[in-house]
Amino acid sequence: MPLLDTDNISSNESEGAFNEFIEDQLENLVDSILTEGDLTSVGDRGSEVIVEIDDIVAPTFTYGDESEGGGAAGAGPGRDGGKIRFNVPFEFLMERIARSLRLPNLRKQGRGKIKEVTHEFKTFAPVGTVLDKKRTFKRALKTSIGMRVYRPEEGRHEVHIHRRDRRYKVPERVEKPKFKAVVFYMGDISFSTYGERLKLEKRLVGFIQHWIDFNYGAKNVEHRFFVHDADAHEVQEEDFYRVGNAGGTLAAPVYHLVQQVATNEYDPNTTNFYAFYFGDGELFDEDAKEIVELLEGQMRPIFNRIGIVEVQPGRLSLLNRQVATQFHRDSIIRLGELNDRLEAIEVIKTLFSER
Amino acid sequence: MRSVHQDPELAFLEERVLHHANTFRRTLPEMRFFVLDSTEFMSLLEKGVYPTSPVNIWEGKRMVGRKHRVEAGQESAIYYEVVQTGNPSYAYLNHTNSPMMQASVMAHVVGHCEFSELNVLRDSTRDRTEFIMHLVKKVELARQQMGEVYYSQYWNACESLLPLIAPHSQYNLARSVDTESPVLKQETDTYVSEERSSAALMPVSSTMDALLHQQDPDQAWQKEMQSKLRQETLSRKGYKLRAPCQDIFGFLRNHAPTSRSEKSMLDYLYTRHFTHDFILRTQVMNEGWAMYWEKKIMLELFKEKAVSGIIDYARVFSGVCYPRPYFARNPYHLGFNLWNHIEQLYSEGKISLEYFEETDQSAKDNWKRTPGKEPIHYMADLIRTVTDYEFLRRFLTPELIHEFHLNRFHRMEAQRLRLSPDSIVKEDRQYVWLDPEPVKEEMLNFFTHFHRPRVYIIDTDFQDGGLLLFHRDDGRRLRKDWIKPTLKNLNLLWKGPVYLVSRNWLYSFSANLFKETVVTELRFEKVLERMQRYEKPFKM
Repeated sequence: MPLLDTDNISSNESEGAFNEFIEDQLENLVDSILTEGDLTSVGDRGSEVIVEIDDIVAPTFTYGDESEGGGAAGAGPGRDGGKIRFNVPFEFLMERIARSLRLPNLRKQGRGKIKEVTHEFKTFAPVGTVLDKKRTFKRALKTSIGMRVYRPEEGRHEVHIHRRDRRYKVPERVEKPKFKAVVFYMGDISFSTYGERLKLEKRLVGFIQHWIDFNYGAKNVEHRFFVHDADAHEVQEEDFYRVGNAGGTLAAPVYHLVQQVATNEYDPNTTNFYAFYFGDGELFDEDAKEIVELLEGQMRPIFNRIGIVEVQPGRLSLLNRQVATQFHRDSIIRLGELNDRLEAIEVIKTLFSER
Repeated sequence: MRSVHQDPELAFLEERVLHHANTFRRTLPEMRFFVLDSTEFMSLLEKGVYPTSPVNIWEGKRMVGRKHRVEAGQESAIYYEVVQTGNPSYAYLNHTNSPMMQASVMAHVVGHCEFSELNVLRDSTRDRTEFIMHLVKKVELARQQMGEVYYSQYWNACESLLPLIAPHSQYNLARSVDTESPVLKQETDTYVSEERSSAALMPVSSTMDALLHQQDPDQAWQKEMQSKLRQETLSRKGYKLRAPCQDIFGFLRNHAPTSRSEKSMLDYLYTRHFTHDFILRTQVMNEGWAMYWEKKIMLELFKEKAVSGIIDYARVFSGVCYPRPYFARNPYHLGFNLWNHIEQLYSEGKISLEYFEETDQSAKDNWKRTPGKEPIHYMADLIRTVTDYEFLRRFLTPELIHEFHLNRFHRMEAQRLRLSPDSIVKEDRQYVWLDPEPVKEEMLNFFTHFHRPRVYIIDTDFQDGGLLLFHRDDGRRLRKDWIKPTLKNLNLLWKGPVYLVSRNWLYSFSANLFKETVVTELRFEKVLERMQRYEKPFKM
């Protein structure tokens, strides 16, 4: 009987095509996350992210209403009210975002100064406490074959394990450079931070948190929040968006405070500092000049990156203009202007791209 | 995937099964059996029971979903058998089955293969699987020629229109479309030749004819013009619609403007899905026939001790033939029991004019006449002449519906479905039985619509070259949000404007623009009438 001219029946290629299609969909998803700023809703940092994409169903003439659909929910591909759900590792998503925005990895300082020590079982020895059964058996089998104890052709399948065949796993001290980062977020609470302004700021802060966590590892990053009106204070993350005051504005104190915290509480030689300021930029001329001096003299030398973002600035906004006179196209100090959510991608690129 | 010939035990069982099938004088094509593992089985099912298929995301999606369901325990990975009938037929066995189960699967396949050979819809074709494999190669070539993006786009559009394949419809291509070249006639169980008997042999006198059959000159003129229009359309386009066409995908395959690559894809998809219509129309007879021969052959195998485990077999058999309510009909159970009942009727001579004309009830009750030929020959004749609709219409009586428990519901289910107490004729602690009278009607209704909207092509030159579809209203609305994407996909295949009339709405898709217009509602009968008169079926 002639066989069919196929050895086995497989859908591997079609499965591959489907997976590629899903990856393309995920690229689109990344674009929508960046445009819509929905990164906060996709899951915890460092965990797996559950993403939903529209299920692919071939439409046809059929009975029913638009609202029809549904089915059992569950992780993995499957129908759930017209959606397919996938578990995507956080790193996978961030890598795609980085690729989409062409963001470089952040340059880390402090290499070799702080070491993270771990023990890995990389070597093996004839003495020890943790027996490596696989290696031991391999050696015992070789010995048994050599000693003609194991002779399958004669029906003898004995394997003798001698003391010298034993192999133990030996822990080895491994030192890896540990990078630490501290991120300072500075917010102006004297201007009317609510509604659209608050949303824009929140989205941007959310992305910065994800991006730096992704680069350093969530455990190695400390996020600290500061607000100012005429005076500066440190607050909890949740209060960063909540507190508000309709008084006068002096921004220099918050830069002072951040600089002092950075130098007094951390070792500038081993810590990577990042600072991001959000406000409408409507400051007194003297205040802005003081900030420029602070940036130049005390902050720029020890910070990896400082971002100043004017969120929906007005006609009187002058902070970025003043800073730009001194730090135009600077590699450390980056200036951005965020008027609506579609500009978020450009601001992110400005803050993190290499120059 | 390996042939059963590589396994001596399976090769022996195959030989015994075929031996008994031949002893029973069955009409069989060449049958080739292969053994598959679970993943191969899953893949085979997603490929439409063919060993190869072109790369496409839909198969990939279904496969990923199926694997996920199997891993999550939502679906069993145990598939007993699948068969692609034709000559040769290819049957696939699951490697995890016991020898007894493999034998029963082979015996079952015997029934399917014979049914495919004999049936009125002429399902069996030469080298079907080989032909599909040839088409797959053509589509793979087309994929390279079209480029990945357009290939996917075109496939997606086709996927959307696959439910519109209806080769055995009353309004199939052969009945709806006139073409210049003679096409292979598609037969159906209701097929009646439309060729009118020729009067060429009768003595002809045009003068006498004109006197005896006086014709209105206007009518004669109309007739002449219609004939001329038909000829002109045929010579210009190569086809002319003379009745609504329900085989929409088939029509597009033959008459849509396509490149060679696109044609390859349409050919493959149409041929791959073509048999689905046959399965829908013959499932009860087909599965019943397969169970009937499976049991007969298996009893022979048990008798000669070629296999053992008759108790296990009986358990599996009764599980497969478990009665289900009529709307969730179990074709194995209904078909098997109906065939046995019919065999009984024939063996007692009860399917005869004398029996029906007998007025004495006691004579009817004790009726026993030797039939003219073996009952099995009559049964085979039935396969050659009818499909499920006629099979059920002729033989399924209310008494049998009750006897086969087609009207039986679990109490819980009856409560959930809010069955009226008036319709319940019998009940016990576990079940209730409905009045069997309306059940048959409900079951037969399935064959008019198959639970799908009936959509037809009624004009191929609507508003200058547009393709006009008509949804035959049966009281249910079309899913509205899918009309636009479906028309868009149709537009990609037709490469011109497309329209759909559903109730009092005209939907159109042309130049990437979707429009909805309120129109006067049109009945299907009116459409038919106008098309018979060579008029435009629908005018704005």
